[in-house]
Amino acid sequence: MAAVDDLQFEEFGDVATSLAANPDATTINIEGPGETPKRLGPPRGSGREEDDELLGNDDSDKTELLAGQKKSSPFWTFEYYQTFFDVDTYQVFDRIKGSLLPIPGKNFVRLYIRSNPDLYGPFWICATLVFAIAISGNLSNFLIHLGEKTYHYVPEFRKVSIAATIIYAYAWLVPFALWGFLLWRNSKVMNIVSYSFLEIVCVYGYSLFIYIPTAILWIIPQKAVRWILVMMALGISGSVLAMTFWPAVREDNRRVALATIVTIVLLHTLLSVGCLAYFFDAPEVDHLPTTAVVPNQTVVAAKSS
Amino acid sequence: MFVWGEPEGELGINFDHIWQKTLTVLNPLKPADGSIMNETDLAGPILFCVALGATLLLAGKVQFGYIYGMSAIGCLGIYALLNLMSSSGVSYGCVASVLGYCLLPMVILSSGAVFFSLQGTIGTVLALVIIVWCSLSASKIFISALDMEGQQLLIAYPCALLYGLFALLTVF
Repeated sequence: MAAVDDLQFEEFGDVATSLAANPDATTINIEGPGETPKRLGPPRGSGREEDDELLGNDDSDKTELLAGQKKSSPFWTFEYYQTFFDVDTYQVFDRIKGSLLPIPGKNFVRLYIRSNPDLYGPFWICATLVFAIAISGNLSNFLIHLGEKTYHYVPEFRKVSIAATIIYAYAWLVPFALWGFLLWRNSKVMNIVSYSFLEIVCVYGYSLFIYIPTAILWIIPQKAVRWILVMMALGISGSVLAMTFWPAVREDNRRVALATIVTIVLLHTLLSVGCLAYFFDAPEVDHLPTTAVVPNQTVVAAKSS
Repeated sequence: MFVWGEPEGELGINFDHIWQKTLTVLNPLKPADGSIMNETDLAGPILFCVALGATLLLAGKVQFGYIYGMSAIGCLGIYALLNLMSSSGVSYGCVASVLGYCLLPMVILSSGAVFFSLQGTIGTVLALVIIVWCSLSASKIFISALDMEGQQLLIAYPCALLYGLFALLTVF
């Protein structure tokens, strides 16, 4: 019965042994006012105060307790997954709003997800994004080549399946790799903040929401407009991801932490730039030769007069 | 006490219930009674599917295969989603029945397509209105039958995607 620093088992142990020795004895258990409840997490460190700010909720212990009781059905039944769809409309809207407005210091996972990760948001945001990219890509190609007589517009349905593969692979494989990496680092360095796999999937899914209006606006056939949109979308969703995962790698070696955040943002950049390049044809700059002709004519007219 | 059996009762088709459900679909803003989905009948939905195919045929598009294929797969998707989101489960027949009844506004849209072409601004706006109408009715019936208030829009969105596919079939 070794006393652990944070777990106050001493009183209970005394009662238990005395009860075991004398089962008929009546015992009175008086709880002092300053007694702290049993902690499930790792010992408190200096970084805990900052995490309390990020937690945004003092009953996180209660939710941790509840979270441990969730998965009891076998994984091939519907009941197993029902816990991941237990969200209301306003909760989904709240999470989407949180992904659009990254506030420095506010952690998306702790503030909005709070141990209730859902699969509804990521799944339908990815599905909508696939449709948005496919439809906008087809529409923009149609509009760009509208005046040309030699171009025959054919809707490319193949692009839907390619878009679906890319986006769903990104939304599942990158979180899986990141989760594995964080788990590995957690075994080397004790981190205060650790995320479950579903929470990471959730963050990535909701961070992709900004790309839906971006994809629709990419129909505008101006290169400058498209690149400004990319920068804005990347800025918003990249900062949401960076601010979410910075607390998880902060305790680690400085270089490893920075490299992780840079990789996350780089992969996100790759996704958005790749989608822009592959699904949206470059707007042609074929009006340039005609403007070059006109000045010549005015020069010739000026010379001859 | 001897009671004569009602003729529609022997056939298994209850016209009064079909009419009630149709009225519920046609008025998407009125809250639905949760008990109307207790007996799932497929007579109404099959009738509406055939009507949709017939009106599309009149407009010159032979697409019965697509209609039935999309209905089956769409029903399967919504069935899975509803089982995941509700605390009590649903049967596939119930899902198919509700989705089939809410196809009625789409039949109205495709009969409009017989008389004027839907490609154009008016057609697009009309199609969007019909999609919203269908999905609101379907989600309203689902949440009242399965006791899932607070999640109506979450159900309405996948239904809107499904009816959007039907609308694409009708317009193009």
